[in-house]
Amino acid sequence: MSKKTTGNIAKGLATATCTLLGTAAAAPVSAEEQPEWEFDTALLFYGEDAGRVQDLSLNIFARRLFADERILSVGLAVDSLTGATPSGAVPQNEVQTFTRPSGESVYSVGSGELPLDDTFLDTRYALTAGWQQPLGRDYKASAGVSFSTEYDYTHIGTNFGLSRDFNKRNTTVSLGLALARDELDPVGGAPVPLSAMADVGMISGRDSSTSKDVADLLLGVTQVINERLLVQFNYSLSTASGYLNDPYKILSIVDPISGEAVGRTPAPGLEGPLHEYRFESRPDKRTKHSLFGQGKYWLGGKVLDLSYRFMTDDWGIDSHTLDTKLNLPMGETSYLEPHVRLYTQSEADFYRVSLLDGEAMPLFASADYRLGSFNAVTAGLKYGWQTGSGHDVAVRLEYYRQDGDIPSDQLTGNQDSASLYPGLNAVIFNISYGFGK
Amino acid sequence: MSARTAKRAFVVTFVMMLGTACTSMGVEPWERDVLAKDRMKLVTDSVEAGLDDHIYFSKEASSGGRGFGGGGCGCN
Repeated sequence: MSKKTTGNIAKGLATATCTLLGTAAAAPVSAEEQPEWEFDTALLFYGEDAGRVQDLSLNIFARRLFADERILSVGLAVDSLTGATPSGAVPQNEVQTFTRPSGESVYSVGSGELPLDDTFLDTRYALTAGWQQPLGRDYKASAGVSFSTEYDYTHIGTNFGLSRDFNKRNTTVSLGLALARDELDPVGGAPVPLSAMADVGMISGRDSSTSKDVADLLLGVTQVINERLLVQFNYSLSTASGYLNDPYKILSIVDPISGEAVGRTPAPGLEGPLHEYRFESRPDKRTKHSLFGQGKYWLGGKVLDLSYRFMTDDWGIDSHTLDTKLNLPMGETSYLEPHVRLYTQSEADFYRVSLLDGEAMPLFASADYRLGSFNAVTAGLKYGWQTGSGHDVAVRLEYYRQDGDIPSDQLTGNQDSASLYPGLNAVIFNISYGFGK
Repeated sequence: MSARTAKRAFVVTFVMMLGTACTSMGVEPWERDVLAKDRMKLVTDSVEAGLDDHIYFSKEASSGGRGFGGGGCGCN
């Protein structure tokens, strides 16, 4: 068989393997054409409306190809986060005042406004490095490390992967393992779960730092169906243990008849909350199972990408994700790619829109909308082209929207689902530039 | 066997069966011209996929499925 065909097979299987393990695929090294270094860069803007989160992210990913299909990869990402996120307190028809996580001052939100907390605005740096190489004739192995830091959060992790080919390399079975240790140093320390939000200067009894451990296992099969169709099925198991709370998230306490927040008076001479709030409490363990399937189908020059993921965990959350893209070539060197993603999740067992005054405090409770029941849609368009010097450029614009609903049995008195669930509207804008390929 | 263990055993068996049952499917090495194209990669832009995974991991309760990228963050 010709050298070119061998190159294509190796490229095909490297592609399948690498993409299964989440690393970028690399072409095999051949004498004349293959550059040693490949670079992918991207600038991303993510912006929610109404004063909420905005993120500007710069990413650089570099791959160094060595002989015998050995690959070194390094990635760097810098994210600048600004804006605010819903704290979990419910809007009221009067001014609400909250003590900042630092415990040093207060902030207020107006009547009818959704309480937002801006404590986590920061710059985050992330570094990844990985090595991949064949093991014997049929196996490929990989190992990598990851590290990220922001002022109140540090992550370190390691990952391993092993894959084997069967059936003239039409079938690839892969195994992956990732382990991580994350450390949190929340502003003001980690609040005692379900403790009350205190007046300024009255924070006590908190751990200054906490941690969590995460382990992920992935088992996957990639299968060539025919000349035009490639499919992949993955099962993954993820376990997290340790401090899983969001230290800045709270719940309002409301009157069980009217649904209005219960008032409170700060101690004499102190500033503090004007209503009763409790810090959230989540279990210290979480186990997630995911089933993922993807197909890439060649439609006479166009490429259809369709994937589905089902996730279920022991917090009571089930989710479904359906994602589809259609790559439409335009002329010799450019393409247009529309994209639609549909997502739905059910709420966590301990999700509560608010706590009721006078009821026994539950063991776990969170008003974090990300643990609630909602549907989300992403719709976008990407346009890509190859420059005269063979570099790849793409621009992408997408719209992401979440619409939630609160189970009616959780609404109390005057509470009304439409005004309570924060929802989300965001724009995603991304420019990518790749060279050395 | 508990329901949870049974569900897990079924999933693992199903995935392994897919691998072994597929012996008759596939292409000969010389039929891979389309499959070898960049646009037919399962992940055509891994940086973009990582960025999107990070957005959705921060805003939703689910993560991963396709593989795992590096780096946690304080946003979930």
